[in-house]
Amino acid sequence: MPSSISSSDGAREARIEPGQLGALPYVRPLPQMRAGAALLIAMAVFAIALAGWEAYWRDWGSEPAIRNSPGLWSIQRRRIDHGEGDRTVIIGSSRMLFDVQLPVWERVGGERPIQLAIEGTSPLPVMEQLADDPDFTGRLVIGVAPDLFFTGFTYVSDKYELYPKETPSERVAQRLSMNLLEPWLAYYDEDFALITVLKRQSWPTRPGVPAFMSVRKLAVSQADRGTHMWSKVEDDPEYARLCQRVWAQDFGEVPFESADVLQKKIAGEIDRAMKAAAKLRAKGVQMVFVRAPSDADYLAYEDRWFPRATTWDVLLEKTGVPGIHFEDHPAMQGLRLPEWSHLAAADAGKYTAALQPLVEQAFAAQRKGD
Amino acid sequence: MTFNSLTFIAFFAIVWLLHNLPFSWRTKKINLLIASYVFYAAWNPPFILLLWASTFIDWKVAHWIDRTEEPRRRKQVMLLSVVFNLGMLGYFKYGGFLLQSFQALAAGVGIEYTPPAWDIVLPIGISFYTFVTMSYTLDVYLRRARPGKSFLDFALFVTYFPHLVAGPILRPTDLLPQFERESRATAQQVKWGLMLMTLGLFNKIVIADGLLAPVTDKVYGAKDALPMLDAWLGTLAFSGQIFCDFAGYTTTAIGASLVLGISLIDNFRYPYASIGFSDFWRRWHISLSTWLRDYLYVPLGGNRKGPGRTYVNLMLTMLLGGLWHGAAWTFVVWGGLHGLFLVGERLLKQAWGRLAVWDSWPGKVLLGALTYALVNITWVFFRAHDFPNAWRVLGAMLGFGPDGKPVLTTWLIVSVTVPIAALLATHAYMRERDLHVEIARWPVALVGLAWGAMLFLIAATQGGSSAFIYFQF
Repeated sequence: MPSSISSSDGAREARIEPGQLGALPYVRPLPQMRAGAALLIAMAVFAIALAGWEAYWRDWGSEPAIRNSPGLWSIQRRRIDHGEGDRTVIIGSSRMLFDVQLPVWERVGGERPIQLAIEGTSPLPVMEQLADDPDFTGRLVIGVAPDLFFTGFTYVSDKYELYPKETPSERVAQRLSMNLLEPWLAYYDEDFALITVLKRQSWPTRPGVPAFMSVRKLAVSQADRGTHMWSKVEDDPEYARLCQRVWAQDFGEVPFESADVLQKKIAGEIDRAMKAAAKLRAKGVQMVFVRAPSDADYLAYEDRWFPRATTWDVLLEKTGVPGIHFEDHPAMQGLRLPEWSHLAAADAGKYTAALQPLVEQAFAAQRKGD
Repeated sequence: MTFNSLTFIAFFAIVWLLHNLPFSWRTKKINLLIASYVFYAAWNPPFILLLWASTFIDWKVAHWIDRTEEPRRRKQVMLLSVVFNLGMLGYFKYGGFLLQSFQALAAGVGIEYTPPAWDIVLPIGISFYTFVTMSYTLDVYLRRARPGKSFLDFALFVTYFPHLVAGPILRPTDLLPQFERESRATAQQVKWGLMLMTLGLFNKIVIADGLLAPVTDKVYGAKDALPMLDAWLGTLAFSGQIFCDFAGYTTTAIGASLVLGISLIDNFRYPYASIGFSDFWRRWHISLSTWLRDYLYVPLGGNRKGPGRTYVNLMLTMLLGGLWHGAAWTFVVWGGLHGLFLVGERLLKQAWGRLAVWDSWPGKVLLGALTYALVNITWVFFRAHDFPNAWRVLGAMLGFGPDGKPVLTTWLIVSVTVPIAALLATHAYMRERDLHVEIARWPVALVGLAWGAMLFLIAATQGGSSAFIYFQF
């Protein structure tokens, strides 16, 4: 507590001096120095250091792009509640985000869908959000990445959590950032934030603490969340191997504590999907599940713990929603996945061109069923 | 809106521009008032109604008190303001807490009671601005001040955006005299203000959010038992995080206000160099501690009614001060511990305070280190989300319980030890110094280099517009 409380000097308390209105105004003391010169030097140091930092990241392969931020997701999500609720909406995880090319989809099908897929995250929370949103009456393409969908894994929940509570200030900040900073600055990416860079240096391992590598930058986004694989992943084999090593950290062990727990989790997530699908169907929403390609060790991992027969097939059967699995379509085979999980940008275009008509067929079949 | 957001940069640039156009002083104040409402509404527009209500009621009540001579009547009118302000605070901040506490109490005597859901959003800064408006009314009631003549000045005093949502908790005399006559920021004020804003944002974005928060989150988010080292590092990290977050906010607020030519009071004075808890509370959140002193501790009798009553008053003041921070029993314990340490300090001073060793350099270092260690013990209850969490961390810090599994990587250890060592060294060095005096002694090139480096580190860290910790209070 302040002096008078802790002081034993009773007289001190009697001298509380809150002052009187009309008293002399308080004036903050200032340093007696050449602050103008200091400001000029500061501006020069800032400009030189920032230019150097920017040049370093451009040389490393980064280029200015729109950040795939929660605010950007909210802009797309808001479209549904502002007159575009009858649109085709894509949800899922990073495979739907990187592999579905919006310009190709629009060229083939005539409509540019709303991209709401969230990297590293099960689409079920968003599916449930849309099921409860009376404004959404459109068509839903739901990506299924087995290790995320059937475990309910959430890597970035802040995207769908921000939307219902986004403040006016946050909306303005998002607009300012995507118009004034992001199109011009290559370093302005969360992967190149100073603390992240420091954290990823090769610090000595502490006994007993697992050295877990976090997912690296994999893609580049545009303002409508149209996203494609970052060229460095495609062109730099060492970087691609680093990304593979990040995935491989999960391949050794059973997800969750035991195989039994995993089976219960899978059943629980399918149950969630059933309920959400029933709600969506009740309001006339057409749906299709999409299993995008994976490759090599990643595919082997998925097949081991999430075999198609006990996950994908059960999901389609229980929800009654049609599905498009890459293994069933020759046009979706033989594509290039530099880090085993996502398609190279050019092949993502081919994949989208093959996927879009199949999605249309699935929707058409549901319309006939009505 | 938060200071560490792009929105604030754009907002502040517009406000500064408007403030420097050749308008009358009254027009400039109206501009500042509107800007302050925009600043507040940018978070949640409907809650601006509460701010208006608090402003209007205390303006009216203060004048009513001033016109009333009869003591009993004056008291009744004063209580109107207190009941309104504390009622508003109670409803929005403590409603859920009271219901939960009642539920726990009922369960304790075997009554099963399920309270209704209490989904009330806490209006940002409500604890701060209710205290600001109450201080105005109480000062008039206590005849320490006369009510102001200008409603515009009073509304701006309550709402002025730099202090609105997280302090300093200003008194009428801190601002109203400055609003009475036109003031224009000097070039030196603008530059020093910008330097303070940089320093404040550096503390928040780079130190608090960038380096320390991940360590705190990791340790306090651990589900299992922790080793002593990790528990201590997590708590030390929080001690630095909360200082750099809160003092960073205040420093930015002081700087922003100075750029507009208006001086705000200090709220911190290097608290981690405190020698004893009474010294700590002269250096930590000064505007709150003086508020509690003047409007709670002294009216309770202060230290004028004997030692026993002094200790009771101290404890009551600190318990309520703890509760002011948050609607949870952990905050009450935090306040209670501070009260106990203040009482203990008084008793120890009476017994051994006159020993020469305490005035020696080693004695001061020993007492300073002990104070910082005990402050860290109290932070456990401030940071923990519940008591099991607090006991887990505190038990590990004190060496009780099983030796746990380490959670901090080498990088996280570095990211807490380096800034905390720098922070403690800075506080120790600056303990008896003033920043504006010390800076003036530096070579200009060094000041410019440090300033530019801070700007670069802010930009390179990027930040994420995360809210300041004290916004929730």
